[in-house]
Amino acid sequence: MKGLITQGGIPMIEVKNVTKKFGRKEVLKGVSFTAEKGQITCLIGINGVGKTTIMQAIMSLIPINSGEILIDGRKLTKDSYEKITFIPDTITMLPQMRIGDAFAFMADFYQSWNQKRAEELLEFFKLEETERISELSKGNTAKVNMLLGLALDVDYLLMDEPFSGIDIFSREEIANVFTSHLIEDRGVIITTHEINDIEHLIDKVVLIDNGVVLQEFNVEEVREKDGKSVMDVMREVYEK
Amino acid sequence: MNRYLKLVNFEFNRFFKLYIVLVFVTIIMQIFAVILESRRYVREAEKIIYGEMMSKAVFFKNYEPFTMARIVQSNWFYWPIALCIVVLLIYVFFIWYRDWLGKNSFIYRLLMLPTARLNLYLAKATAILIFVFGLVALQFLLFPIEIQIMKWIVPAEFRVDLPMKEYTNFIYLSAILPGSIIDFFIFYGMGIVAVFVTFTAILFERCYRLKGIIFGGFYGLVSVGFFLTPLLIDSFLLKNYFFPVELFVMEVIAGTIVLIGAVWIGNYLLKYKIRV
Repeated sequence: MKGLITQGGIPMIEVKNVTKKFGRKEVLKGVSFTAEKGQITCLIGINGVGKTTIMQAIMSLIPINSGEILIDGRKLTKDSYEKITFIPDTITMLPQMRIGDAFAFMADFYQSWNQKRAEELLEFFKLEETERISELSKGNTAKVNMLLGLALDVDYLLMDEPFSGIDIFSREEIANVFTSHLIEDRGVIITTHEINDIEHLIDKVVLIDNGVVLQEFNVEEVREKDGKSVMDVMREVYEK
Repeated sequence: MNRYLKLVNFEFNRFFKLYIVLVFVTIIMQIFAVILESRRYVREAEKIIYGEMMSKAVFFKNYEPFTMARIVQSNWFYWPIALCIVVLLIYVFFIWYRDWLGKNSFIYRLLMLPTARLNLYLAKATAILIFVFGLVALQFLLFPIEIQIMKWIVPAEFRVDLPMKEYTNFIYLSAILPGSIIDFFIFYGMGIVAVFVTFTAILFERCYRLKGIIFGGFYGLVSVGFFLTPLLIDSFLLKNYFFPVELFVMEVIAGTIVLIGAVWIGNYLLKYKIRV
């Protein structure tokens, strides 16, 4: 992929000192972190600390008050949406569409749409193209939502709470995606308030509380050097 | 351009079912109006002529002949037109709000399309204009058919066949089907500017929510004020100094500026200020 223009030449998403206010409430108070390509970065924090807002800001779905967000060293443009995608916690397709219609829509608008991979994923999730989105169960809706993001040949994937409110079997299926070739080599940012499901999958953790980054660390490094799990670090940080 | 056209097609299809309903309701109700009014007239005429033993010559002296004007004034004729206008006016708002409302937030998808966001704005506006002009064209096509049906029912001696201009001269029809090309451009030009200004006002609300209602309202007033400036200055300050043609040119320029302003601000809001 082109455009590796970051310090040190590593492709990444850089969030630099981002602030965001909703009215008088400051939701992000100078958030900074990086998410490298080829790694799974997890934003952790309880509900309402600004995790979703960060993702929306990266995708330019809300304006920020100050700071800067760079993707491979460049600000987001319309063409960036062929390179980065966001999977929100609700499905972003019209309910009256069938899965096949949603595929056609994506193929129509995105050059990065990979029909073969979409069909592969459909089979992986045991879904049919003829199923109508409004008639899918919650778990299957989440799978279709995820599928629409994963079938794009993009460098970066942002996922907002992919496990929330989903039954245990669907969780497992979605978690399996992270260890498959579907994620390999991509940069992933995932938010969650429950770390248990994905602790073994993630490379990097960004702990957020009340609109600030409390700590950013590499999971493997902390495990090897200090013998601590993500939960151990979280306990330390939040109890301070 | 390609994605803009795809978006127009997409927006068109989203409203198509309801649009077809509007088209059929208009056709059915108006043809019903033609049949109802025509038959009623013939029945009444026959009742008078045969019931009161009145000669046709006396009847024509005392009673108006039948014209299309009588049909276009009937409720059955103008209700569907009013319905179409109301539905399209509501849709000017709904075409935006439907993407935010509901549990599937389609606005996420639209804003993340790899195309200039201005295309969303222009595609929605184009769709609205296609719907409006489609219905205007339908009315133009319906008239000859309706006249033919009327001719089949009402014998030639009972009717006067007016040119279309004569019966579209009623207030409500003259606004929809203006009598001259110039009027057509003035009315629909103003309509197009109004759609764009409304779109931008809606975007103010979508960007700033509660505060945005005030911004949008203020923006709308400024736009209307700017558009009317040449007329207001001419009437109140210069006491009708300009010729009508000069005023017309100034209005065209003012309208164009308002239109470009609406698109420019709309583009700015979608690009930098919009929120899901």
